[in-house]
Amino acid sequence: MTEVLLLGRRATREIIRYPEATIPTLFIPLFFLVVNIGQVSKTFPSSTPFLKGQGYVAFQLPVSLMFAVATATSGLALVTEIDLGYFDKLLVAPIRRSSIIFGRLTADLARGIATSTLVLVVGIALGARIETGIAGAIVIVLLSALFGVAYAGFGLLVALRTRNVQATQSSFLLFFPLLFLTPNFVPFDRLSPLMETLARINPVSYVIVGLRSLVIDGWELDKIVVALLVIVAMGIVLTGLSLRVIATYDR
Amino acid sequence: MLDTSENLEGTHIPATDQLAGAAIAARSLRRTFKGGIEAVRDIDLTVSAGEVFGFLGPNGAGKTTTVRMLCTLLPPTAGSATVAGLDVVADAAEVRRRIGVALQEIGLDPVQTGRELLELQCGLYGVTGQRARARTHELLELVGLTEAADRRTKTYSGGMKRRLDLASALVHSPGVLFLDEPTNGLDPASRLTIWDEVRRINAGGATVFLTTQYLEEADKLCDRLAIIDDGRIVAEGTPEQLKAEMGHDVVSVSVEGGNVAATEAALAGLPGLERVVAEADALALYVQDGAGSVAEIVRRLERDQIRAGAISVARPTLDDVFLKATGRRLEGQQQPGQATEVKS
Repeated sequence: MTEVLLLGRRATREIIRYPEATIPTLFIPLFFLVVNIGQVSKTFPSSTPFLKGQGYVAFQLPVSLMFAVATATSGLALVTEIDLGYFDKLLVAPIRRSSIIFGRLTADLARGIATSTLVLVVGIALGARIETGIAGAIVIVLLSALFGVAYAGFGLLVALRTRNVQATQSSFLLFFPLLFLTPNFVPFDRLSPLMETLARINPVSYVIVGLRSLVIDGWELDKIVVALLVIVAMGIVLTGLSLRVIATYDR
Repeated sequence: MLDTSENLEGTHIPATDQLAGAAIAARSLRRTFKGGIEAVRDIDLTVSAGEVFGFLGPNGAGKTTTVRMLCTLLPPTAGSATVAGLDVVADAAEVRRRIGVALQEIGLDPVQTGRELLELQCGLYGVTGQRARARTHELLELVGLTEAADRRTKTYSGGMKRRLDLASALVHSPGVLFLDEPTNGLDPASRLTIWDEVRRINAGGATVFLTTQYLEEADKLCDRLAIIDDGRIVAEGTPEQLKAEMGHDVVSVSVEGGNVAATEAALAGLPGLERVVAEADALALYVQDGAGSVAEIVRRLERDQIRAGAISVARPTLDDVFLKATGRRLEGQQQPGQATEVKS
């Protein structure tokens, strides 16, 4: 555990000292939030039934939150470390290899909390109202940050498998279809039949639905639990695969 | 030869019992990479406790692959090795506790300061709190980086990075220290500083396994050395032993016009000639009396109307040892495969 904390502290320090690695990841979610609201606010006025009296910003906010936390930053940091040789230094230290992964994920949690808080504040400033109040806002931030942690496992996996900066960087592109094959613009029942089918089998949809319920609907525990289960399952699979690859790295 | 185990392709044989006692020992150690590239071919090594052991060879000879196997970073394809009496595969975790490693690629995190990096390294080796701070202070003093301790390592010069990397390998006072080309790319002054550090570490009781492609480094720093070429150990001994085995003196004759064969024929049967090694545009003559042979060499060349360039007489160097063992020089005067050895 000490190893994880030491490596997590180091990775978090890296985030603070390299804000230029995090700031660009905030640009896209904030840009989408502002542009999407501007484009469709007349199409979906607050009288639209699924908005329940709120502006469209409340509907879009969860999507932006997920964009903000789903990054390949950790994978990039790891592949850079492999490139520089520091990774070997860690491998030859008498520590569990898993602590290298968990150290990175600790920093992802810290980054996720910071970035999702910022996006949430911007959303509120643009008119979103969190129906579940401050407690709901905290749950939104935590769920978003945990989603970021779960997703980071993918970047780490690509970094370890390819040992290539470009491949790791482009792994972020995988998230685009996962995020757009969801009820990101309108609810499930407003999607075309094909899109609805795809969205319903896409687990990311349920994370959006869970977050959205906290913003618009109020406390709907079933949706929150399903979102949490999806995040945990994603985390177990992606982190599990990363742990497997690092355990057999060069072996 | 201690090894009595049967080695099969792709089979690692735990060797703790067989090789215990030596600080480092390898038997029939082999590493084959994908595509059948044989980086290390069945090498045997024994390094006694307290030695500075050099592993000398050109780029691509198999030095780093050997070090990575001994450091538990890379599993052998076949054969066995022990470090500090522990098998590098079966007891990898315990081996890692006993060794310090500074690899060829300087393993530093550019975002951290020197002090942060050493404190983290202490923590990873179980040295924490006040002890970590004290050890970090001590190591920074040792490698002369106290003033730069709170600067990020990306601002360090190459020499400073090497010294910090060396310090980071010492946080837990390891019994065996692996240094993979520790002075590669350094200026002469920084190189001397690293040599001093290595001597000081060794004087403290640590066994040092050092790879290098610098002849002078191997000659001056190492108690014993092995020369590796193309994955095989081609010579092993103390620098003095290896040079003494070469014979008495080396007379180098550079041949104008590249007529090496004719020159070699002219000098065949030279009194006291022990060995001739032909290079692309020169001959290395190993003779009992170098100075006394020069006059006869000149006479024979004039007789056969061969225009020679410089003729020089020297004691054998490790490069001559390398030339004898591999047919080419280490210092890059000749491309691989261009030399042929002719026994007199």
